[in-house]
Amino acid sequence: MAWLDSHLLSSLTFFPLAWAVLGLALPSDQGGKAAKWWALVGSLVTFWLSWILYTRFQADSAQFQFGELAPWIPALGISYRLGVDGISLWLILLTTFLMPIVILGAFSAVEERVKGFFFLLLALETGMLGAFVTLDAFLFYVFWEFMLIPMYFLIGIWGGKDRIYASMKFFIYTMVGSLLMLVALFYLMNQHQVQFGEYSAAITDLYRLKLDGAGWFSVQGVLFLAFALAFAIKVPLFPLHTWLPDAHVQAPTAGSVVLAGVLLKLGGYGFIRLAFPLFPQAVAQYQQVFMILGTIAIVYGAWVAMVQPDIKKLVAYSSVSHMGYVVLGLFSLNTVGVSGSIYQMLNHGISTGALFLLVGMIYERRHTREISEFGGITKVMPLFAVSFLIITLSSIALPGTNGFVGEFLILLGTWKYQPVLAAVAGTGVIFGAVYMLWMFQRVMFGPLKNPENEKLQDLNLRELVVLLPLLVMAIVMGVRPNLFFSKMDASVAAFLERVNPQVASAQPESATTSDSETSDI
Amino acid sequence: MDGNVSIPAALTTIRPELLSLSAEQLMALGPWVLALGGALVLMLAAAAMKRWKGVVPFFFVLIAGATAWSATRLVGGGEVLLFNRMMVVDRLTLVMTVLFSVAGLVSALSSMRYLDREGLQHPEYYILMLFSMIGMMSMVSALDLIVIFVALELMSISVYVLVGFRRADRRANEAAVKYFVLGGAASAVYLYGSALLYGATGSIQIQDILSWVQGAGQQPSLLFVLGSVLVLFGFLFKVASFPFHMWMPDVYEGAPAPITGFMTTGIKAASFATLIRVVSGVGYGAGLVESVQRHLHDLLWISAALTMVVGNVVALTQIQLKRMLAYSSIAHTGYLLVGILTAPFSADGYGPVVMYLVTYTVMNLGAFAVLTALAKRADSGLNLHDLAGLSRKHPFLAFAMAAFIFSMAGIPPTAGFAAKYLVFSNAVQAGEIWLTVIAVLCSAISVYYYLRVLVFMYMREPAEAGVGIVQSKRLLAALLVMLVLTIELGVFPAPLMRLARTLARSTPARVVQVGMTEVEAQK
Repeated sequence: MAWLDSHLLSSLTFFPLAWAVLGLALPSDQGGKAAKWWALVGSLVTFWLSWILYTRFQADSAQFQFGELAPWIPALGISYRLGVDGISLWLILLTTFLMPIVILGAFSAVEERVKGFFFLLLALETGMLGAFVTLDAFLFYVFWEFMLIPMYFLIGIWGGKDRIYASMKFFIYTMVGSLLMLVALFYLMNQHQVQFGEYSAAITDLYRLKLDGAGWFSVQGVLFLAFALAFAIKVPLFPLHTWLPDAHVQAPTAGSVVLAGVLLKLGGYGFIRLAFPLFPQAVAQYQQVFMILGTIAIVYGAWVAMVQPDIKKLVAYSSVSHMGYVVLGLFSLNTVGVSGSIYQMLNHGISTGALFLLVGMIYERRHTREISEFGGITKVMPLFAVSFLIITLSSIALPGTNGFVGEFLILLGTWKYQPVLAAVAGTGVIFGAVYMLWMFQRVMFGPLKNPENEKLQDLNLRELVVLLPLLVMAIVMGVRPNLFFSKMDASVAAFLERVNPQVASAQPESATTSDSETSDI
Repeated sequence: MDGNVSIPAALTTIRPELLSLSAEQLMALGPWVLALGGALVLMLAAAAMKRWKGVVPFFFVLIAGATAWSATRLVGGGEVLLFNRMMVVDRLTLVMTVLFSVAGLVSALSSMRYLDREGLQHPEYYILMLFSMIGMMSMVSALDLIVIFVALELMSISVYVLVGFRRADRRANEAAVKYFVLGGAASAVYLYGSALLYGATGSIQIQDILSWVQGAGQQPSLLFVLGSVLVLFGFLFKVASFPFHMWMPDVYEGAPAPITGFMTTGIKAASFATLIRVVSGVGYGAGLVESVQRHLHDLLWISAALTMVVGNVVALTQIQLKRMLAYSSIAHTGYLLVGILTAPFSADGYGPVVMYLVTYTVMNLGAFAVLTALAKRADSGLNLHDLAGLSRKHPFLAFAMAAFIFSMAGIPPTAGFAAKYLVFSNAVQAGEIWLTVIAVLCSAISVYYYLRVLVFMYMREPAEAGVGIVQSKRLLAALLVMLVLTIELGVFPAPLMRLARTLARSTPARVVQVGMTEVEAQK
């Protein structure tokens, strides 16, 4: 156990992969039952490890905790450097929390090559956790790229009709962005040598670099754009979002949930961990541009979602809209906005993850996702309808649900920066309610016209077990946001200290005070 | 022994005392003694006794293994100059020797069953491979433009024959003739270039040429510029860089699959390792006067950029696997040229190039071993559709191929990524940001055609009449080693990087040191 204490992050990160490799030795039985349970147990153990992390995390410290350091490529100053702060902690927990749910949810969906499917899911978990725990920019890149491999196969092998097109688009889109980021990273590592006499890829070392930041295309500006391109594609920010609907619609349910739940968060996380603190002046320069893009994403995503005939595509575009809030909040560069943004990332993981699972459940029964095929589902599947309703309400940010806290804080933060943008982005909340409720109405209410829907089975026990944690979290996050902010505040403050010193000092008001307002409502 | 011999002394006739070998020099010749002795004995034995034919492959493995082993034994030692400074046995030579032996070994192991099936099991095959290997070893160790030429011919002529080994096949014949004629022309260009260099500098020894270039007040003449450019062209042909790449796809397609693997790794590694010596020998980045330096730099820059673009863009349209890999190989030549071109201006010097060569060899040998295992009868072009559903029929082959493909595309955590980032980070260090951007964008393009292989292997249903798989334990063993290396070098690249760095400090390294001080002076 002593070893586990000092290597908690390594164990957490590599346990899923190691477990998955061991799982390859399992016999291939009928339907891959052994592989399914094996993967579920593995993901639960990983969650348990992250729970240890959670309980031991010092909430009041902005320092990186649970640090680990080992030389990796000393010649270039690249090391195996791990650590978490209050921001990555929550994203790690989100990942480990979603994984067992995803795996259990995929029990009935996957019938072919079961072992490979769950192997890839667990490998993907290692990739995602690795990106969240690392404090070395280069190692971050390695995990960042590594994630593409399992996701590519998940979409390409188990996906829908146009899976090959979608998986290829996903891979190449992400690759283009991240390769330019790699070049920028080389430049930074080299600058570190020039300025401090030794190579280093440690993120905290790179923070110290002094780079010319005046003007749009200064050194900082160009490097920021290279990093921002990679992260904006991942988020995805309008107009780089076009890979997302394809990938989501074609991916198997588990793939969609992980993609929406965690992979997109890596874009936001990348902004927080790398792009913002490395290039604070460039961020200030481009702030307006990105906030406008974020606002466009919110409204545009909502409009496009409104006209989708396919439920899954609708949810995919709602992702574009919701992730637009994340960008908006981050670039508002004040405590409220940034906290809301991080909160929104967690919310989106829970709500959209649940939505994709629900869509997957109805798809497994009917093999269609066309909204027009449904109607009156409430009568045959009451449990399904209730679950769907709760998640829909959380997705449209009804007070009392998680979505409200995040979006409210983001809009508040944006208002402080520029009221006009907040007003425009606020319409996104309305449009969000329109497309979600309209879809809900068409699917759930009305007469049960389609005879094929008459003998639909309601949720079974396994599906309830899958959905319950998400429903509970949606409510808990809505009524007790302090539970989450308390571990996050110190890190957010430290983040703003670096990125936007004036704002951090000029605003005594912290997220804690503002969210206590919200929970009173 | 050292480089203090003045130029007139080098011009006198060979002195007998310089041809006698010390014990140290004899030791250093160990790999040559083993390989050459083995090749000669094998040739005689195979010719004399018919029943010996069957064991030739076995002996090939033995000889190549022994050569590699003896080279590894010597790596710890210092550098040894041989034959009146015509050859040098240093770490670069030795590590490259190991690399060539491994290329020979893997190709031979995958050839055995393949040749049985094709009905081409002749001892000449292995003997020619040995001679080609000896040519590569000698070329890398050469410090003399003429020795380079002789070794180059030994290497190439053996391979010309191997390319046409399936002599009943029209495409194989075409490939061999094409390769022979164009290769001959390139050799002539190279030779002409060395003659001009000799005329300009009064020496054919690389070190002497370098000291001439670095000598005070020397203005390289037009003769020198022409000579160095022509020598460079000769090598640009051998490594198939734009615009000298036209021969490559046809030759790759016509040659037997294992030989294609051998060529793409062995010949490329040998040519690039020698190119390191030649490029630094003519004073690139190390003492050349500004105008010539800029000229050579621009030449390499344009060639590198176009090689990457052409290789990757044309590869997009290829259906034939061998042709696709040929164009991908051209693209990799481009990345390697980036390494060569930026080496004198970065801390690691030629280290990343060596690292790239090693990883490139490993992943390509693996990929061609897979192609050999899948080769249809008569080796008639394997195309992408033949790979359909491979992951179901033969999961191991598919997985191995996937790893090699990811490595070629440069995606972590594979060896190809480690090598690529080293080259690119050095390029950024050298201030070649735009070239690096072109390189990474080309890498992004390459992802498309590489992934297509995976699409067919994993995401398509098996074709009705799939390809037969050559069942060979030896091939699978070689494949497994390459697979492990591909992943290991990707996850733990540091040891190989350290080795590659020290290689860069061997003979051409003095050059690099000079280059570095200049760069620092500029800063």
